[in-house]
Amino acid sequence: MWQRKKILRAAGITFLVLLVGAGAFTLYLDHRVRTEFEGRRFALPARIYARPLELHAGLRLALPDLEDELRELGYKALIEKADPTREAEGGWYVRSGERLDVGLRAFMFWDGAQPARQVRLAFDGGSVGALTDTEGREVALARVEPLPIGGIYPAGNEDRVLVRLAEVPPHLVKALIATEDRTYFTHAGFSLRSMARAALSVGSSRMQGGSTITQQLVKNFFLTPERTLRRKLTELVMAVLLEIHYGKEEILETYLNEIYLGQDRDRAIHGVGLAAQYYFGKEVQHLTVAESALLVALVKGPAVYDPHRHAARALERRNLVLRETREQNALTMEEYAAARAADLGVSRKPGFGTSPYPAFLSLVHRQLRHDYDEADLRSEGLRVFTTLDPRAQGAAERALTKRLAQFDKDKRFGAPGLEGAIVVTDPQSGEIQALVGGRDPRYRGYNRAVDAARPVGSLLKPAIYLTALTDPAHYTLVTPVDDGPFVWKSRGAPDWEPENYDKKFHGMVPLRTALAHSYNAAAARLGTELGVERVLGNVKKLGVERELRPFASALLGAVELSPLEVAQMYQTIASGGFRSPLRAIREVTTQEGKPLQRYALAVEQAFPQEPMYLLAAALQGVVREGTAQGLKAFLPPEIGVAGKTGTTDEQRDAWFAGFTGDRLGVVWVGYDDNRAARLSGSTAALPVWGDMMAALAPEPLALEKPERIETVWIDPQSGLRGVSCPGALELPFVQGSAPRDMAPCASPVDGAVEAVGQTIEKAKSWFERLFKR
Amino acid sequence: MRFFAALLLVLAACATPEAPPGGPAPPTAEPAPPPVARTENVAVAGLMESARADAAAGKLTTAAASIERALRIEPRNPRLWQELARVRLQQEQFVQAENMARRSNSFAGSDNTLRAENWRLIAQTLEARGDADGARAARESAEKLSSH
Repeated sequence: MWQRKKILRAAGITFLVLLVGAGAFTLYLDHRVRTEFEGRRFALPARIYARPLELHAGLRLALPDLEDELRELGYKALIEKADPTREAEGGWYVRSGERLDVGLRAFMFWDGAQPARQVRLAFDGGSVGALTDTEGREVALARVEPLPIGGIYPAGNEDRVLVRLAEVPPHLVKALIATEDRTYFTHAGFSLRSMARAALSVGSSRMQGGSTITQQLVKNFFLTPERTLRRKLTELVMAVLLEIHYGKEEILETYLNEIYLGQDRDRAIHGVGLAAQYYFGKEVQHLTVAESALLVALVKGPAVYDPHRHAARALERRNLVLRETREQNALTMEEYAAARAADLGVSRKPGFGTSPYPAFLSLVHRQLRHDYDEADLRSEGLRVFTTLDPRAQGAAERALTKRLAQFDKDKRFGAPGLEGAIVVTDPQSGEIQALVGGRDPRYRGYNRAVDAARPVGSLLKPAIYLTALTDPAHYTLVTPVDDGPFVWKSRGAPDWEPENYDKKFHGMVPLRTALAHSYNAAAARLGTELGVERVLGNVKKLGVERELRPFASALLGAVELSPLEVAQMYQTIASGGFRSPLRAIREVTTQEGKPLQRYALAVEQAFPQEPMYLLAAALQGVVREGTAQGLKAFLPPEIGVAGKTGTTDEQRDAWFAGFTGDRLGVVWVGYDDNRAARLSGSTAALPVWGDMMAALAPEPLALEKPERIETVWIDPQSGLRGVSCPGALELPFVQGSAPRDMAPCASPVDGAVEAVGQTIEKAKSWFERLFKR
Repeated sequence: MRFFAALLLVLAACATPEAPPGGPAPPTAEPAPPPVARTENVAVAGLMESARADAAAGKLTTAAASIERALRIEPRNPRLWQELARVRLQQEQFVQAENMARRSNSFAGSDNTLRAENWRLIAQTLEARGDADGARAARESAEKLSSH
């Protein structure tokens, strides 16, 4: 008797303990549900944008290039404007001959929202002749929304675009409810009926799983994907708790934003907002019945029913969703029939994962890390407006890929093939317009443009000649320099005897010729005479921050720099001695568009203008008559490109750095493992540069002549004055530094001719002054 | 040759354009009011207008941004660089203000009025940094150009 009592008592205690335990556990779960669901905000990636295209009359842009950019942005080419509601939202263009009507979409720029608007462009050859509205009134300036070029993503590279329930079309919600959870609006978080049905129908083709929408959300939100009874129970309790605390709408909205709907390479597509953009290139509110049904179809398995890879399977599942929706009377017969007849309608545009331009993105990310926490970058939904010019980027990628493939074929050196890197900047502002980190521009890994430090060879020579030209009393463009055999002795190091590329020595040559033909002996001698430290000091002033060790061999480019550092150095040359730090970011705003930071244009005059002018003129000589003459095959001589080739020992590295009126480019080609590439700067890097620039139709380089520069006609033989000498050249000099003597070939009247010329020049500038006032 | 030059001088003097009809020529005021950016381009003109308005309203960051937008369209327009120098001066970014004015000078060619104004801006930035000698020299450069 007392035994039974004892057992009963024990059972009672056990029951009580269990009850208390279950109660405590429930309380704990309740606490979790409330704090985590309440506190939970979706982590939103920082969104990165290219530069916006600014349309205005006079813009140098060809019509097909604008069409390309609009297509990239997902604008639709219409035959004629048709649907007035869609028309008002923008996102379309109509071409008729040389005229383009564009419906620009609304966009939140860093300095405020710009509403959707329609503009009309009349093209005139390679530029915009007129910009008006549709009534023909002049429009001064119209910004096209910038191209999204990637993001900095939360853990798991989850990407999403948040939407409000009110923005989601009712037919999408109905299809979801019909397919995933028919009793959603009436149940308490779980459905015994569907659980029982799920248990009974294992293996059958019925489509309902046992989980309600609430349970699915709990599973994704709070729990790990293991499948145990305990976890199932926890899920159930939490679902009920969620329903107690929150309304049906709130839970549904969260679900619609949370749900995983696809994979774009390394980027996970979450939520119906992003899925609408990713699959159909449109905002969620514009989804049709058929499109909505496809998204609902994907809930069950985005990989299995991937409409890009398994179109037939996806179509079958979509139609099943439509049928279930129809069975719930959530579709009319007409809607159902039309939707069933529609094709999948997914956009052809391939996804690019986290970014189509990983090299540029990694640079942006690095610059952002200076000013922002990594966690904020990955969760706060910051908007980052960059300097990337998609057209320059495309031209750079195509040029590099094409040429490297061709070199590989010619060389047959086997795998791994040649590599390369490109940096393109705006020479005046230092904005980085394009960055290619390797031959596969989509590869997110080693970023050679930024991280590969390679010997620069002759690219350093301009610093030697610049050092000389800052002393006009002793050096001008025609000062003879000695390209005879040269030996540099220093204690503790083997003798240094630089050879020339053609294995010859050229004796006394004018300074500009030594640079044009990149003579090593002349440069080494001149550089050591001027002082290695002085030359390297000027390299630093040109913008190279890396510590360079003062070995004489540095003069001929034994120093290792990245293409980006070389671009910085040449930017200072291209802008007449005004150094601007290279920048990839213009502005950063919060998710709502509140400006956080602007990276302003900054300049610093690092050198006086006169020597920089002479150097730039000498670098034009490199292209006109020196090692870069090959550019003639790519660009007309009027462009007046200034540039320099670079080739290192055994031709391991091939470089070309040069600039036009509106772009500066640096190209490096070589092997990652430092094999001898047997390709020089002029045979390997120059053609890449030439292809790229030719595709971009660059502006001619018109150097801004400083006041204290005069031009004098020089006899190329003697280096003395002589207008009438054969092949006489008009060369710039700092005032008073030009040779005084007349060349032997000069005719007696030369002096008089010069004087007339000078008087006319003076009068001309005086006239100009007069009229400019 | 001198004769030729003199002839040109006379010709130029004849060609001196538009003295206002009737009434005396306006006296040359000092200091000159800041010149409005002269440009053919309506986009640049529009951006400068809004930069002016923003600067007047104390929205200097936005003003600078508009000028930078204009500079992307006309990177060699010395008036835009000068405008940026002026905004930087207002922002008390003296080093940048000086460099912007120097950049403007590098594109100014023979526009002495513009160059004189740049030297005056440079003088102000130097004064603000306590470089009295530098400021004096800059003012002298401005004077020399004004009297040209």
